[in-house]
Amino acid sequence: MSSMAKITHPRQQINGEILPQPCPHLAEFLSNNGSKPFRALQDCLRVKPPGGRASIRRDPKEVPRCGACGESARPRLYACITCAAVHCHVPSGPSHAAAHAFSMPPGHEIAVDVDRAELFCCACRDQVYDRDFDAAVVLAQTAASTLASSATSAVQQYAPENLRKRRRIDYKPWIPNLREQYLVGKNSSPLNGDVSDLPWGLRGLNNLGNTCFMNSVLQALLHTPPLRNYFLSDRHNRYFCQKKSNADNAAKKIAANTIDGGGNKSAARVCLACDMDATFSAVFSGERTPYSPAKFLYSWWQYAANLASYEQQDAHEFFISMLDGIHEKVDKDRRKPESQGNGDCCVAHRVFSGILRSDVMCMACGFTSTTYDPCVDISLDLEPNQGGSAKTGSTKSSHSCNGEADCMNSSQNCGVSTLMGCLDRFTRPERLGSDQKFFCQQCQVRQESLKQMSIRKLPLVSCFHIKRFEHSSVRKMSRKVDRYLQFPFSLDMAPYLSSSILRSRFGNRILPFDGDEHLCSDFELFAVVTHTGKLDAGHYVTYLRLSNQWYKCDDAWITLVNENIVRAAQGYMMFYVQKMLFYKASEKPGPA
Amino acid sequence: MRKSVNRPPTPDVAENQEKEPTLQELINIELIESGEKERLMELLRERLIECGWKDEMKALCRAFIKKKGRNNVTVDDLVHVMTPKGRASVPDSVKAELLQRIRTFLVSAAL
Repeated sequence: MSSMAKITHPRQQINGEILPQPCPHLAEFLSNNGSKPFRALQDCLRVKPPGGRASIRRDPKEVPRCGACGESARPRLYACITCAAVHCHVPSGPSHAAAHAFSMPPGHEIAVDVDRAELFCCACRDQVYDRDFDAAVVLAQTAASTLASSATSAVQQYAPENLRKRRRIDYKPWIPNLREQYLVGKNSSPLNGDVSDLPWGLRGLNNLGNTCFMNSVLQALLHTPPLRNYFLSDRHNRYFCQKKSNADNAAKKIAANTIDGGGNKSAARVCLACDMDATFSAVFSGERTPYSPAKFLYSWWQYAANLASYEQQDAHEFFISMLDGIHEKVDKDRRKPESQGNGDCCVAHRVFSGILRSDVMCMACGFTSTTYDPCVDISLDLEPNQGGSAKTGSTKSSHSCNGEADCMNSSQNCGVSTLMGCLDRFTRPERLGSDQKFFCQQCQVRQESLKQMSIRKLPLVSCFHIKRFEHSSVRKMSRKVDRYLQFPFSLDMAPYLSSSILRSRFGNRILPFDGDEHLCSDFELFAVVTHTGKLDAGHYVTYLRLSNQWYKCDDAWITLVNENIVRAAQGYMMFYVQKMLFYKASEKPGPA
Repeated sequence: MRKSVNRPPTPDVAENQEKEPTLQELINIELIESGEKERLMELLRERLIECGWKDEMKALCRAFIKKKGRNNVTVDDLVHVMTPKGRASVPDSVKAELLQRIRTFLVSAAL
């Protein structure tokens, strides 16, 4: 597509998006006047507090009306950039704005929408875009929504130099040269794996007593490409791990089947990364008989003593807990404060950590406070229409009885609920109720506010957790939601990025916004953890995609399945990997 | 549009301003000056997003652009095609809520 565009027109690009070419009228206008008229317009930019939309008014109380017909209630009123005359415009009808453009000498074609502060060419009858103009509008909106002291980063750079091309990191398979071959041969013993054409590393995990929650997550993690490469390339070697000497004792105790009484003391010596390394070695050894991750389970028990039992656990809770475990270990080695979001602290966060952006806007003055929070997964609500808080909020009160009805409504609207629908909801502006007013720094009182989440930085691997277990505080009981959720095999995260969210808030502008450095927002599904059964008793099964084939990993049993079975499964956790990494499981030619 | 047809062929600007504004205009001005219009628009925006109307329109727009080809569509074309569909598919509940809000405003403004 981009090569096509290069041949036809030399177009502007932002982040790989091709920008529309200016129409001849705008181009001529700019060459005659430069961007000076836009600067004059800046004094007329008004930003109305709730919502923070920009409009054009010479005086804040002005009621703009069409110069030809005196109409003020028309939805589309345009002010001529050259002479400031306001005219109405009706598509395909009599347009006073177009009439104005033609009745005047050339140069009156470009006008600005008084309610949206967007440029319009009356001759082409189409919206037009200009970077300088957009920059001025965004600057005014930003100034209105932030305190003078903290007017920093809603729009960080809008300089034209910030044009970036989308880069792609190509994968080059490593082929050892002679010397490397010798070194590899000398220092390693080859695996005598079987010669089946099953993907490497596909091995069942024995259930050690209600441990399917662990097996399901482990299967996903064992086949998480960046994590797999990290461990298989010996980046964390359990024989050289600094904690090893301490952990040895604990390991011997497992062998002797004694349970360590001082749970907390030994927890300090546990290195989950070492156990992960051992599990990787075992699973990728070429052996196909099911493996018992007993050592791993024991270490995790020591790490998370409160969850150490043979009871059923929540797979998502386990996932979070074990990532924390891996993080904590490395954290002590070389502690880097505040580095989780950047993901340079440990492999767990390098792979899974992203940054969420949360904007809370005061409904009275429009002041926006922005916070960034690191996250290792995104928890999404399944309920399509659940009253006020459709987000991560745990206060779910009034849904129970009309939940089904709401579901029906929404399914009429958009067919079936989808992962994209959940993400739309996650990033949708949410009005915080009067009971959770937010302290506005500008008003210095608690005000009603609007909250919006977006994704500032995408992780390498996105884990989506669907909240299927919900607690109703009214009924004082929990239940599981068995509703089907459709999830795509290929997911574009661009609409949920902070840059896109901000862009829509500022209207149609052609500027790069916060966090536009994303190289790739295309993700590909590689693992789905599913849950069947009830809240207190059920079973976890993982579907893995390896070499464009889906495999069902049900504890010790692994079976080849059709992708339609995966699509129909009740997803609880979905793992997506960035396509940029070129671990395209789907692009390899699979066996028929 | 009807207004522009009915207006005298050569409107005298001074005379026009002296002329008594119609009730509709008065209401509109009051709505704007009090900021109620902006609030109503914000409420409408919110409701239309909530009920899925916006997504539906977006999908229709995308389909239209795809059909016509990306470079052959202007905003005017889109507005022209979408306006009747959009008006027709606003849920009655949303209309009712807005009407109620406007009524309440008119009573409180005692126009």
